[in-house]
Amino acid sequence: MCNWHKPMRLLPRLFFLLAIITLALFAFTAWSSQAQSTAQIPAEWNKALDSLADKIATVAKPAKTFSLSVKNISSLSGADIASLREELVAKLTALKCRITEKPSDAQLQISFSESAEDYVWVAEIRRGDAHEVVMVLAARNVAKKPSAAGPSIALKREEIWEQAGKILDFGLASDAVAGGGSILVILEPGKLSFYEYRSGEWELIRAVAVAHARPVQRDVWGWIDLPAGKAELADAECSGDFQHPETVTCTSAGGGPDVAFKTNPISMEGHTVDSYVDLAPACGIGPLILVSGPGDWTEHDFVQAFGPKNQAGVVSGKVQFPGPILALWPSEDGKSARVVLRNLQTGAYEASIVSVSCGD
Amino acid sequence: MKLRLCLYLAAISVVMAAAAPLRPARRPRYGGTLRVEIGAIVKSLDPSVAAANPEEAEAKDELDALLYDRRSESGAFAGAAGSGPFRLSAWEAGKSAVFAANEDYREGRPFVDSIEIQMGRSPRDRLLDLELNKADFAQIPAELARQATDRGVRVSTSQPDELLALVFLKGRTATENARVREAIVRCIDQAAIVNFILQKEGEPAGGLLPQWSSGTAFLFVAEEDARHAKEIWSQISPSPKLVLGYDSADALEQSVAERIVVNAKEAGISLMSRAMPNSETTSAHTGNVGPRGDTIHVDARLIRLRMPSPLPSVSLTSFADTLGPTTGIEVNPVPEDASPEDIYNCERSIISSGRVAPLVWLPQVYGLSARVHDWKQPAAGGSWPLADVWLDSMPETH
Repeated sequence: MCNWHKPMRLLPRLFFLLAIITLALFAFTAWSSQAQSTAQIPAEWNKALDSLADKIATVAKPAKTFSLSVKNISSLSGADIASLREELVAKLTALKCRITEKPSDAQLQISFSESAEDYVWVAEIRRGDAHEVVMVLAARNVAKKPSAAGPSIALKREEIWEQAGKILDFGLASDAVAGGGSILVILEPGKLSFYEYRSGEWELIRAVAVAHARPVQRDVWGWIDLPAGKAELADAECSGDFQHPETVTCTSAGGGPDVAFKTNPISMEGHTVDSYVDLAPACGIGPLILVSGPGDWTEHDFVQAFGPKNQAGVVSGKVQFPGPILALWPSEDGKSARVVLRNLQTGAYEASIVSVSCGD
Repeated sequence: MKLRLCLYLAAISVVMAAAAPLRPARRPRYGGTLRVEIGAIVKSLDPSVAAANPEEAEAKDELDALLYDRRSESGAFAGAAGSGPFRLSAWEAGKSAVFAANEDYREGRPFVDSIEIQMGRSPRDRLLDLELNKADFAQIPAELARQATDRGVRVSTSQPDELLALVFLKGRTATENARVREAIVRCIDQAAIVNFILQKEGEPAGGLLPQWSSGTAFLFVAEEDARHAKEIWSQISPSPKLVLGYDSADALEQSVAERIVVNAKEAGISLMSRAMPNSETTSAHTGNVGPRGDTIHVDARLIRLRMPSPLPSVSLTSFADTLGPTTGIEVNPVPEDASPEDIYNCERSIISSGRVAPLVWLPQVYGLSARVHDWKQPAAGGSWPLADVWLDSMPETH
């Protein structure tokens, strides 16, 4: 009886407590989304931003204070734009330029745009009637570190080779780094070409014609097995020591039926997938499955890593490709995959290596 | 024993499947005849024989790309006819052709056995034949794309890669006055051209390169201002009477020219449109000769500029080469590896001369029958990749 008033006094206290918890949750969400939006940007983009900030600071003189607006007319994500904006503001501040939210005499408009080949980042500086435009180019195919909330494995695409003619498969006889000694092998329907890395460029050192037992088919296939020293096509085979191209010879294999290629569809998240490669365990997950997109030869494509077959969940972001993936082969060490695609914009065939790294 | 054998075989098949290389299971089908209809009348497939008009030249280039394996550095077809994915198996000049698959083609035999080409088909006939399943592949004018879709035709549209522009010809007294040019350009309602004439199958153009190619087209904004155009025109005395030329064989150019005349009239500008013979449109910088031998005088004309490459530097150089002799604009060649800033500055210098007014960007539109698979739009400047197309086994209708 003496405590009859307690529930009435407890209610406002509960509301107060709830309000504090709600505010704390909001603050945490805002912090985590900020952390996500300011994911580290690739080094190549950082350099481009440096250059853009320098150019802005140069043409903007004597103005030192700008109002800033940013627009995205590219395929960059909102999170990327947020990171780039923040980084650019930091760089401009370091160059003694001040960005203000209030209207200013000088307006800086940043447009994140893209051309047929790369990103184009444009800065327009308006001061009265004066209108200055500066811009920089930023590479489109760069490795990006995933955000903290994203998948734990990062896929990195490294473009190795591009040519007008069809590529069936390719191989690097050793690590393709400057310093010489590396051999790049390109298998085409009619030849096997060897390039050596010299003075920063790949130089053709030998091309071996591939004799076919029958006319070449439009959907001709072939693959290179570097450790075994052979390249196989449906009706031809090349063999030798690929580190020593002069030892390689190609012979017709008699034109048997198309037996070597089999698709062995698997089920991934309820979908049947027949274009994939198995990769070795990485970052404590595995073995991994690298899967390409479901589209046909007229569409852009992607690869994405999944966990072990019996627990196939997505473990990486998608690496996008500007055309259909025509061949997807595992590397010898199982840590990367060879990807051949046809760029729908340029029509060229491109050879890339997609490798796995831990996204910490 | 049987069970053990089954298990053994199953184990072997699993090992074999794991060892076998995998590839995308998008296996096309070989065979069939692809029925193609084109509007142009091609008199000869010999690359050394000049085409009578730009339409024939374009169609001839597409057909020769199917017959020849390669081009020389100058862009001309090289090697022997039939070294490409197809060989000529029947030819009736200006009417029809049959191309047969080249079994020994370097890049592999095409999927279809043959291509039947009908020439001189009007846009309406092409559309009707696609609708009635009498054709498998035909190019459709951009202004008819909406109509084609409405009629149930399967349509494939490229990124915009063809610029329709208004150019002021050099040496014309009236248009040497920059204010005259400005008044005309400002009165043009680009949105109306895109929305009504092109049925929204195109984009208003501000620059010489599309946004997807240069990434900087958004910096060029064409501003229609009829009131300002009227104001400028009222200050010009005496006000000249101007003639706008268009290709007599080009229905789109005619519609656009007539629309510009209406816009000009609303701004009080004296402008009339006049058809120019198809073969003469490429040499409009000189006095043109009409079909009856009369000299056609035009002050400005409409021009189509097709991008030869997705690369902005290559396309801009090509456009500058075309525009130079017609307009008198002098531009230094843009190197292939030019920076976006260099390309933008070059583009800006051409536009700011006031001698070229980009109007609209047009896509390439193709109609396809339901049985056509793996058709992909060629990149700007690329040829029809018909060797990659395959047909499913649906019956043909003749």
